[in-house]
Amino acid sequence: YSIVRAYHELLASDPEITMPVAAIESLIELLRATPASTAMETVEVVKKEKARLLDSAPNPLPLLAGADLFEQYLLRSLRGQTAAAADPVLGFDETRQHLLHNKLLFAQRAKAARDNIATWGSRYVLDGRVVMAAGGSRAVTKILLRAAADTTKHFKVIYVMDGSPRCESSVAALRAAGLDVEIVGPHKVAYMLKDNSQINLVLVGTEVVLQNGGIISRMGTYQLASLTKLVKGSLKRFYVAAETHKIVRKTALAHPQVLRVGVKQKDISKFANLGRDIDGEAARDMVPDQEEVDYTDPEFIDGIITEQGVKMTTQIWEMVDDYI
Amino acid sequence: MAPSQAAYAPSLEKLLKSLKSKSLEASIEDLIFLLKRRQVSGDECANATAHMLLQVVARSKWHDVDQLLSRIQSTGSRLAQAAPHEPVIGNIVRRVLGLIRDEASEDRNADEFMSESVSDLQSLPPSAPSHTRPTGATPVRPALVPTATSLAVSKSMFNLLSAAETADSPMTGASTPISQAQPTSAHALRSEVIDGIEEIMDEISQADDQIAGFADIQVHPGDFILAMLPSPAVERFLLKAAAKRRFTALLASNGSYISAVGEAPYAALRKKLNAAGVNTVNLASNGLLAYMPRANKVIFGAKAVYQSGGLLVDSACCIAARAAQEYSKPVIVLSGVYKFCPFDPSEEVSKVDLGNPMTYVSYGDGPAVDALEVENAVAEYLPPELVDVYLTNLGPQTRDHLGSIISDHYKPEDMGLSLLINEA
Repeated sequence: YSIVRAYHELLASDPEITMPVAAIESLIELLRATPASTAMETVEVVKKEKARLLDSAPNPLPLLAGADLFEQYLLRSLRGQTAAAADPVLGFDETRQHLLHNKLLFAQRAKAARDNIATWGSRYVLDGRVVMAAGGSRAVTKILLRAAADTTKHFKVIYVMDGSPRCESSVAALRAAGLDVEIVGPHKVAYMLKDNSQINLVLVGTEVVLQNGGIISRMGTYQLASLTKLVKGSLKRFYVAAETHKIVRKTALAHPQVLRVGVKQKDISKFANLGRDIDGEAARDMVPDQEEVDYTDPEFIDGIITEQGVKMTTQIWEMVDDYI
Repeated sequence: MAPSQAAYAPSLEKLLKSLKSKSLEASIEDLIFLLKRRQVSGDECANATAHMLLQVVARSKWHDVDQLLSRIQSTGSRLAQAAPHEPVIGNIVRRVLGLIRDEASEDRNADEFMSESVSDLQSLPPSAPSHTRPTGATPVRPALVPTATSLAVSKSMFNLLSAAETADSPMTGASTPISQAQPTSAHALRSEVIDGIEEIMDEISQADDQIAGFADIQVHPGDFILAMLPSPAVERFLLKAAAKRRFTALLASNGSYISAVGEAPYAALRKKLNAAGVNTVNLASNGLLAYMPRANKVIFGAKAVYQSGGLLVDSACCIAARAAQEYSKPVIVLSGVYKFCPFDPSEEVSKVDLGNPMTYVSYGDGPAVDALEVENAVAEYLPPELVDVYLTNLGPQTRDHLGSIISDHYKPEDMGLSLLINEA
């Protein structure tokens, strides 16, 4: 059983799946492929394969979010604890059976989470205003489609085409729903935001949410967040749409934050590879240029729209703080 | 109003006195009427809502918890929608709903304890209190309120993998009712909930005094305190401080303060403060910035505090806060915990409540100012960055801790009420 291959197959086969959930599903398949043995042995296998999975990805954070969630769930059942307040207490074998049997249910729940995000997020879309969106996030598209379905709200969208492969399809989906969507490049953002009292909301998705409430997401997000705060004019709020399973127990402390939390990305601030492209082994390990990520500080984020409601950045810490 | 009509004019006191004699529905209608006409406003709304919900619990017919919850929800929504500019109403409704859930689960736990074996108690999860409800200790299936329009929200990170039937989705009609597990005694629950609501009413009435209890810590000797539009809570705070400290109070108001002819604003407060040995200076609205460098701190009350730390305040407090920021003076906001709203407002502009422009331009001058549109903002939204300390009846808090206070006082299942009553 190759967990890395299973993970990539899952991502390729299901367009709706998120990376943390794909990691969880590949770990569930690992359970299926591993012969039933003692609880401790199973946990050891899970730890080893989790490390292998994380090693294979230049940006391991989204996989870490899902893998940690899975591992914590297992460890808690091992301790006889319930993971959620509502849970019945299951023994380890029962837990394993529950995970194997309900793989589809988890996938459904993950997708249903986007619907809840759409309900909470569409409150911020106001009649007669303009929303700026970026990054091709499926959760953001769902929010806007839900708001579009509300006939009392008439709004427009400015979509920042920041190079994400999903931008085109997002714009197409929004236009198909009857929304007026203008597209701009990332260099035009400050120009569009300045003195524009129509834009009240800037919405993005993210790959992971850090424990301190900051986000690691597509390169350019931090630029968008800072401009939202700094550009003079009327009040604009910056919201991030993210399911709770994207929360990862890491904090970005100091520059270079992205590298310090474990993302293998080129650091050109050192001017070490002038004029030469990194290729071969080194290139395979690094995040490709078009998938580079940046870190956005929590002070630029007005709220994180999750399926459990809108969380303030200060509320994220306690959600993952009691991991074993 | 003609004298003969005044006797029939509805007011909150009359309503409260007549609660016993009128039918429940008539009383609710009366309160809705008062709320819509803004004859009950501000902090009084909290008390009125609590009274009305107590009547609903005491007098309406219900047989189990779910019925009671849906009654409270529907009455509460009607009251909240009658006064959308008063978020406190929604807060009290949520507090009562949370109280009912607590009491119902305590009953259930008590019965479970009798019948279940000891080993089930081992399942107590040691995780942080913000994750688990005390009800989670027993293996009984959790409750999801079956009202079709409520959003069942659970706080656990592990909902994705959970073995329990956590339906996060809002509009599902099929969910496990609370009362299914154990038939609760409606009579016992009724009296417990009534006690609980009376505790909430006590909390509301004592909030101002408890806040004032922190006055001697917040006010230092020789301070110049700028009190913007001092509300009764702020008055009590200043008077309590005056008992122990020598300071100077700068009482600021905008032109909207309605006082007896010839009297300066806040005359009664000034007299009391002067009697206690505190110098007072009245500031007209345009004197604010001139005195700001002299002030040590700025104090005012709030109508509501949002999850993000933003406030709903009387208009002109925004100017005071912004001026304070300019001169780096700390801004202290006085607000009982019952004013904390568990939601993030979707729009700031809608919070601006417009009132009677006659305080600025008399209707008699109408033709002269024909080309002008005179707006009188009565309440406004204050962004969170401008506030330093939230002084509550539980003590001073910072913005980062609002989340934990909110989660202590409200149940996650009731957070979705904001969507139901369409709070912005």
